[in-house]
Amino acid sequence: MSNKTLTLMMGLVAFLILAVGAVFLVVALGGSGDDDSQPADGSTQKTPGASGTSTGSTAKICESKVLIVPGDEPLAPFDPILVGDESTAAYIVEIFGGLVTLDRNLKVVPDIAESWTVSPDGLVYTFKLRGNALFHDNTRVTANDFKYSLERAADPANASPTVKAYLGRIKGLEDKLSGKATDVSGVKVVDAQTLEITLAKPEPVFIQELTYPVAFVVKQSQIEQDPRNWTRKPIGTGPFKIVEFSPAEKIRLVRNDRYHLGAPLLEEVVFELGGGSISTRYQNDEIHIGFVPALNLKDIEDGKSDLSKEYVPVPQMAVSYITLNPNQAPFDDLKVRQALAMSVDKASINDVLLYGYYRVADGILPPDMPGYKESVSGFKYDIDAAKKLLSESKYAGNFPRIILTYGGSGGNSPETLVAIQDGWTQLGLDVQLQAVDSAALLREQRRGTFQALSEGWIADYPDPGNFIEKLFGSDSPLNYTKYQNADVDRLIERASAEPDDAKRADLYTQAEQLILNDAVTIPMFWPVEHTLIKSCVVNYPSVSMAIPKYRYIDIDPTK
Amino acid sequence: MTAIVADLQAPAAAEQPKRWRMVRTMVRKKVAMAALAVIVVFYAAGIFAPVIVAVTPLPGPNEQPRPLTIELRNAGPSSDHLLGTDALGRDLLSRILYAARTTILFTFVVVVTGGLFIGLGLGLLAGYRGGWIDTLIMRIGEVLAGVPTLILMLAITAAFRSRITQFSFDLGDNTFLSTEDARAAVQFLILVGASVPFAWVGSSRIVRSVVLSIREQAYVQAAESMGASTRRILFRHVLPGVMPLWVVGVSGGMGAIAMAEVSLSFLGLGITPPTASFGTLISDGAGPLTFKNNPHLLLAPAIPVILFYLAWNLLGDALVDILEPRSTTHR
Amino acid sequence: MGSGVLGYTLRRVLWAVPVLFVISVMVFYMLRLAPNDPVDAILGRNAYQEDVANRLREKYGYDDPIYVQYWKYMKNLAQGDLGLSTQHQDFTAGEVIWPKIWTSTQLNMFALVIVFGLGIPVGVYAALARGTFLDPLAIGGWLLLDAIPTFVMAPILIWLFATQLGVVGLTWEGPYSTNAILPILIISLPGVAGVARLMRASVISVIGEDYVRTARAKGLKESTVIITHITRNALLPMVTVIGLSLPGLTSGSLFVELFFGIPGIGRESLAAATTPDYDVILAIVLFGSVLFVGANILVDVLYGFIDPRVRIGAGRGG
Repeated sequence: MSNKTLTLMMGLVAFLILAVGAVFLVVALGGSGDDDSQPADGSTQKTPGASGTSTGSTAKICESKVLIVPGDEPLAPFDPILVGDESTAAYIVEIFGGLVTLDRNLKVVPDIAESWTVSPDGLVYTFKLRGNALFHDNTRVTANDFKYSLERAADPANASPTVKAYLGRIKGLEDKLSGKATDVSGVKVVDAQTLEITLAKPEPVFIQELTYPVAFVVKQSQIEQDPRNWTRKPIGTGPFKIVEFSPAEKIRLVRNDRYHLGAPLLEEVVFELGGGSISTRYQNDEIHIGFVPALNLKDIEDGKSDLSKEYVPVPQMAVSYITLNPNQAPFDDLKVRQALAMSVDKASINDVLLYGYYRVADGILPPDMPGYKESVSGFKYDIDAAKKLLSESKYAGNFPRIILTYGGSGGNSPETLVAIQDGWTQLGLDVQLQAVDSAALLREQRRGTFQALSEGWIADYPDPGNFIEKLFGSDSPLNYTKYQNADVDRLIERASAEPDDAKRADLYTQAEQLILNDAVTIPMFWPVEHTLIKSCVVNYPSVSMAIPKYRYIDIDPTK
Repeated sequence: MTAIVADLQAPAAAEQPKRWRMVRTMVRKKVAMAALAVIVVFYAAGIFAPVIVAVTPLPGPNEQPRPLTIELRNAGPSSDHLLGTDALGRDLLSRILYAARTTILFTFVVVVTGGLFIGLGLGLLAGYRGGWIDTLIMRIGEVLAGVPTLILMLAITAAFRSRITQFSFDLGDNTFLSTEDARAAVQFLILVGASVPFAWVGSSRIVRSVVLSIREQAYVQAAESMGASTRRILFRHVLPGVMPLWVVGVSGGMGAIAMAEVSLSFLGLGITPPTASFGTLISDGAGPLTFKNNPHLLLAPAIPVILFYLAWNLLGDALVDILEPRSTTHR
Repeated sequence: MGSGVLGYTLRRVLWAVPVLFVISVMVFYMLRLAPNDPVDAILGRNAYQEDVANRLREKYGYDDPIYVQYWKYMKNLAQGDLGLSTQHQDFTAGEVIWPKIWTSTQLNMFALVIVFGLGIPVGVYAALARGTFLDPLAIGGWLLLDAIPTFVMAPILIWLFATQLGVVGLTWEGPYSTNAILPILIISLPGVAGVARLMRASVISVIGEDYVRTARAKGLKESTVIITHITRNALLPMVTVIGLSLPGLTSGSLFVELFFGIPGIGRESLAAATTPDYDVILAIVLFGSVLFVGANILVDVLYGFIDPRVRIGAGRGG
């Protein structure tokens, strides 16, 4: 090897050393400088490098009236009658509208209907439509559009999964759904501005059910012209129009300037569907809405963090729970169910494992639900009493294996479930966790073949019946375990016909207490979405349900 | 892309140094020794994990402190827990030892059930026999190699996920295995079933091409023309030529096989908790924010995996230098 | 050898047809026979009704026997119709996969340039430094990078560059933005070692050739010898590597896409495989297979031109 080769080699070595050294220098400087200036919670950017970009982009995302938020991939097409999941409904309610809607306080308020009257027997609803309600293509919305939309929902060929549950009380709807009739006799167009809906049976919550997407109005001419692809750019009546949907990437909604309830303040809402590191992106001013990492919750709640002033807790109108299937051994024994309900230490699971992220659920109905009663309560944690109950069980000494099934996402260990397993194992039971993907979970639920299942329920509309009747009524299709309690059924029956809200709520809470005593469900937590909102975003409605909320929001660069 | 590059790097590594050989071999041997040491430690840790847990104060992999407090969770390294604890307060060192066990079992099963043995056997057969056997093997290989493996492995593991529990109960109830072990065994089988069909193609191709080139060599042709038996040629001339390459393939493959399990478990499609696996351990620590708050959750399980992978690859390289017969004949 | 090559090429292409047929049948049956069901996934929990599910099965044709489904699928495929996505119900399988494949391909092209741009000089360097401690050092560093799994490297680099330094953004703005630099680096770094090792071996094999000695003997400058005589000739075998890595360009990098929220085909594969989204899985598999088989044929044929010593159809049967 000649000298020249060696010279060349040394050159290369020098280059490599320089390159590697430079990288290390950057790492070292960046790392140490940052660590020194980090506050204890480690949640803000204070390094020279970071603040440079971060002030620049703060200004940037607060300058325009474009809101960038993390979004969920819609699971259904943008067709109101096909939506059954929260993530799709969140987009549907912004794009479409119906006769009535829910406002920020979850009160039913007029949308396209200006006003309505209910006949004294509670059967006939007469809606007066507003004159200025327009579709996104600037055509007027008439009563005929509603008749078309409701009948379309009831058309068996369209296979709406939700029409029966929400609009099933409309007279003649079942006939259309089963193919016995060609139209829905209970929906009548009086004139272009007047719609009359007749129910087969009075139902006080009917007006609330009309806020659900399946009752929304759709544009007949668009659907007929392009039956297959109209949902790509649907023409609705909502505050926003959809301009872009790239699956797994983003959804862009732009303002409907002629929205009849007042044009939204934002020009555009961008939902980022990519996931990725949302917290980091929020801190780097790339998105307007973020979520508090569990570890940092205490500091942020206590006001010890710079992020405290951007912190908005959004209590979810939802509950997570463990279902014990009374048709499967050993849960056909009430004592076993009660013993298991007593041996879940929810408080310490929440405090220790979840860093206090949720609220411990004493009952089924979340506190934000109208009709919530604090007096309703499930079993308290008491492992000794549980052991005693078990020893009295008919399975004593011979317990079958218990499988707790859950929908697993990713490789993360479900700490909460491991803790539940741990509690039950302390009773001397053989408890196994079973992770299944979401589709298999649905199958298990539907067939009712599971023993114990970890699941949750989010309110569709703010009425206790949405929880009590839908999940535990013996003839509800969602009562997968076929749980049956005649007293509960009687209370539900009375409640669903009770027009007085307070009385109805009272009946439901009575039923709730009975269900809890039966221990077919162990309510675990009422979730809270610990949201971070950039200070330039004003009027963010802290409502967890799928209601049209982006029309209230504004971006104020001065804040 | 990396997979293809990895497949091809083997023959290149077999190329021989002609100068500085002494120095190089020495360095190589040192590297080989270091790699071997890492592998031995890894295997000892995995194999003796239950013993270690039994005779030392080290808590078991699923032993949780009672009562669990926030301070005991995700705790950094301390004298009580040398590598810290995980989110449930379990000792991370103990879990890593058991994860090493998982890795060892899995790689062993894949190698034995045939990924690489099939590769070697079929490659020899195809290369030496030629004719329609060669065509058949290569075409089957072409079919399997042509399939994008990632999505199919994902689909296979995802498809059977919901059945894992039932299978494992059947297995556990009918054998001496505990439910936990049976579940892990079923998950192994699914992973193996998803990996083996795709694992042999690369190595059999390499083996075949080496066999072809060896057959072209003068000494083999001479032996053939002198009427040496097939068996003699195969064992005397071909196999020694193929062996080093195959050893490289096996040792390089060990790392890749282990990584396949780790990746699938990371996605929640392989070994699931409470069985310890490097994939799930890493996934618990693999977030920028988690890393910021608790770097030990990521580093503690990641470093053994990296060393294991690296050690097998380096060992394979070093073995080539030592085993390559042509290195002496050609000089 | 003109007609030989032509005939060989033709035979290989004809062989590809049954190969692709077998792949499609195999995957089609595997998906249909697997114990999971896309209709469960389409219908949300509060939505599931048996009659609705049946109507959906009818819409997607899942109620037919599998061979009928296969026949219909193939008929549609012949007309360029890849079927419907069940996971993104507004879209056809083609509309789902093409943009994502393109996104991943662009990222991978950048990565390929880096892999070869770094790997080739490192390999040449290591070969020239062969025998000194610099040789294993040069390759060793890259081997270490190769050994670090993406899902370990990604969170650490995100923490370093985005959380701590704040110098890169994590919002996906397409492959031509600064935010794409980090993902591209993470995709490419592990591949450098492989190319470097190949190049090193290749250089070592030409370094002792007569023409190199002649060039040196003629008193040419050492750099000229290295660049024009050694490196150029050593690059020849790299043609195969580059050729074989081309179909890999279109496959995604699952973990990088997950960590950076990149709408690429890797993430789509994971989502489709777990849903399961039959037509999207099939589309990805068939597209990948066609490319792979094609690239193999191309490389084999090219190799025949470049290196006449490789007897085409070696062993007579193939």
